[in-house]
Amino acid sequence: MASYIIKRLLAMVPTLFGVAVLIFLLLRVVPGDVVEARYIGQGSQFQSQELMQLERKKLGLDQPLWRQFTSWMGGLLRLDFGLSMWTGAPIIEEIRLRFALSLQLAIMASTVATLLAIPLGILAAMKQDTWIDYAVRVFSIAGLAMPSFWLGILIILVMLIVFRWLPPMVFTPLWVNPWENLAQLIWPALAVGYRYSAVGTRMMRSAMLEVLREDYIRTARAKGLALKLILTRHALKNAILPVLTIISLEFAFLLGGLVVTEQVFNLNGLGMLFVEAIARRDYTLTQALVMLVATTFLLVNFVVDVAYAWIDPRIRYR
Amino acid sequence: MRRVIRLATLATAASFALSAIAQTPRNGGELIFPVPSEPPSYDGHREETFGLIHPIAPFYNTLLRVDPTDISGTRVVPSVASSWTVSSDGKTYTFKLRGGVKFHDGSELTAKDVKASYDKIIFPPPGVGSTRQGQYVAVEAVEAPDATTVVFRLKYASGSLLAGLASPYNFLYKADILAKEPNWYEKNIMGTGPFVFVEHVKGSHVVGKKNPDYWDKGKPHLDSFRAIFMRDSAAQVAAVRGERAHIQFRGFTPKDRDNLKAALGDKITVQESPWDCILMVGFNHEKKPFDDKRVRRALSLALDRHEASKALSQIAIVKAVAGVQVPGTPFATPPEELNKLAGYWTDAEKSRAEARKLLREAGVPDGFSFTFSNRGIPMPYEPLGVWLIDQWRKVGLNVEQRVIEAAGYYGVIRSGDTEAFMDFQCGYIVDPDLDMYKFLSTSRNPANYGRYEDPVLDELYDKQSRTTSVEERKRLVGAFEKRLLEEEAHYLMTLQWHRIIPHSAKVKGWQVTPSHYLNNTLDTVWLSE
Repeated sequence: MASYIIKRLLAMVPTLFGVAVLIFLLLRVVPGDVVEARYIGQGSQFQSQELMQLERKKLGLDQPLWRQFTSWMGGLLRLDFGLSMWTGAPIIEEIRLRFALSLQLAIMASTVATLLAIPLGILAAMKQDTWIDYAVRVFSIAGLAMPSFWLGILIILVMLIVFRWLPPMVFTPLWVNPWENLAQLIWPALAVGYRYSAVGTRMMRSAMLEVLREDYIRTARAKGLALKLILTRHALKNAILPVLTIISLEFAFLLGGLVVTEQVFNLNGLGMLFVEAIARRDYTLTQALVMLVATTFLLVNFVVDVAYAWIDPRIRYR
Repeated sequence: MRRVIRLATLATAASFALSAIAQTPRNGGELIFPVPSEPPSYDGHREETFGLIHPIAPFYNTLLRVDPTDISGTRVVPSVASSWTVSSDGKTYTFKLRGGVKFHDGSELTAKDVKASYDKIIFPPPGVGSTRQGQYVAVEAVEAPDATTVVFRLKYASGSLLAGLASPYNFLYKADILAKEPNWYEKNIMGTGPFVFVEHVKGSHVVGKKNPDYWDKGKPHLDSFRAIFMRDSAAQVAAVRGERAHIQFRGFTPKDRDNLKAALGDKITVQESPWDCILMVGFNHEKKPFDDKRVRRALSLALDRHEASKALSQIAIVKAVAGVQVPGTPFATPPEELNKLAGYWTDAEKSRAEARKLLREAGVPDGFSFTFSNRGIPMPYEPLGVWLIDQWRKVGLNVEQRVIEAAGYYGVIRSGDTEAFMDFQCGYIVDPDLDMYKFLSTSRNPANYGRYEDPVLDELYDKQSRTTSVEERKRLVGAFEKRLLEEEAHYLMTLQWHRIIPHSAKVKGWQVTPSHYLNNTLDTVWLSE
């Protein structure tokens, strides 16, 4: 097991290097740069070429690509992401500010998704082809059909028109004011969590149906084991693995992928930062964010694989 | 000149007095407003975006300012300068500073600080960026003969110097700080403005609190302000509708205005103005048939601007039919004169018949196809792009629209890989020097992507810029406009943007102007409850 873990961790290195090369080159293929975004896109009448050259020099954009790349890679090896080309602030600071919100939202949305998906999926499987099953299926298909940002807009409109209330517009950390914090984040967590629970519910239902037809379940029933025990001790452990994978990967996605939902609820999260960094051609910040998301995906995948072995003793790695 | 200034000052004072009689400002409260963009740095001398002005301008003063009560946004009045005189040859401007203006660290502002600030803008030291340096090419030197006097010596008389000195970006900085670290103000805030900086949480908000030592006694009226960064326009509208925000200073769409008014009724006040921003169509003069002025003029003649004004103003942030100046401002061509220009005629059929005739004369076949490059921004690029294509089809042209992502747009336009393209400019004050510079020959202004040389146009620009006679300048601006839009048709104007500010009726003491860069110092603003 230990050697498996070490091998998996080492395998991440070439993957991350590939991601680094790809994002570095892709960003530079797209027309425009941060200096143009800063000075030309604003519609101002006087545009100084000298100023733009000066700014490019300050940012190192006048250097050959190989030098820019090696300089960036050198920084990465020292865990120094450098400065944002747009704000001039340390990237670590730019990310840290948004990370708390994005992490909390990802945890809350994943919790909502898990709390909905697992019981509903089990219930639908247990009551297959009854009205309960149909109701759960309609509920989950509706969740799949509705984009979470649309549901978010709907939530805001209902709160605004019916209750004449809006969530707070500025993020307050949980430890500063839990009420303000939850009043802001519970709504996007519900909107996003519901969307992701839909996938999980359907996956849970089908996995459960498959497991419930297995011989060992029939044997357990024949032995007279209580239904609750059959479900928790035998069926759930086997059926939950694919659901765990989906929810875990979605967690990684939620960290940096909630762009529109963040816009709708005016959340200062990593998704918005990502989009703005790309739109502004902030190469250093975009590169750092891509590396952060790629690393998160790899780590989550790794943790899920290890969890598989822990949950299902039949899966052992040599 | 002194008499004119005195009269202007008296008129301003009278207007303030009348306002005061009408409504006595109430002190206290926090003004909350969403800002659709965030400043990259805090240095007004370096940045171009309103995302800097809206949250940061309240911390600073400028030497002059645009009268906050002037709806045309063109009347220049004193700010830190209490008065000024102009020499008879128009080449020396002497400003007297008012006393008692203090920086937020308690030190007094003197002429040395004004000189240092303007030296940074006009003659930046090596390694320091100044984005508006080109606007002050007429200035030879800035001097501070004593603590309360600043002198601007010019190479030639300039009709636009005062407008330039009223730029809301020209924050006055402390000389001692600039001497030690010229880039200090990029990451720090310390001015003389009506509000003192409290905090900036990146991506979230900026907070300022009342400056108790502000030189303009009795101001500001607000205890504090909170600028909340909010990119999504629907979220901004929801914030005003949900009464979580009082106002958004940039502008909303006609639909947003109508929805807010319908939802909140008397709780909403709507202020509107022509907006000193315009989208225009440029032609790559190096590509055939756009090297032929008959073709360019035909494309302008194909447009029914008057009908479009009625229809598009219902759905987009555009309205007035305009030339090179915002309608209703001092140097704008009156509508009856403007309507004589080709492309501005009120008879659309006659105009289109002329367009077809010109296309035939130029040898452009019926059904000629070309690509129109547009920027990937929904409002108002999208509705205007659709309108242009529809209008051009009516004279037998077949147009394909190429929408290019916003940040990469100007890279493509500058490369010359275009035929016809949408271009854009926005100003902080309506002034011929600012608004017409864009159209000078490409060798003089590389930001003219039309790739043409027109020495006649350049000469007209220089002449109007150097005259101090208002009437003569009006004539020259008119001649420039006629050459640009009709004779050579280098560019064609779409419609002037229209600024719509629906705000909480509690917000008082704020006047909409044609520029969303103006009236953001917040010293005159107050909340009625």
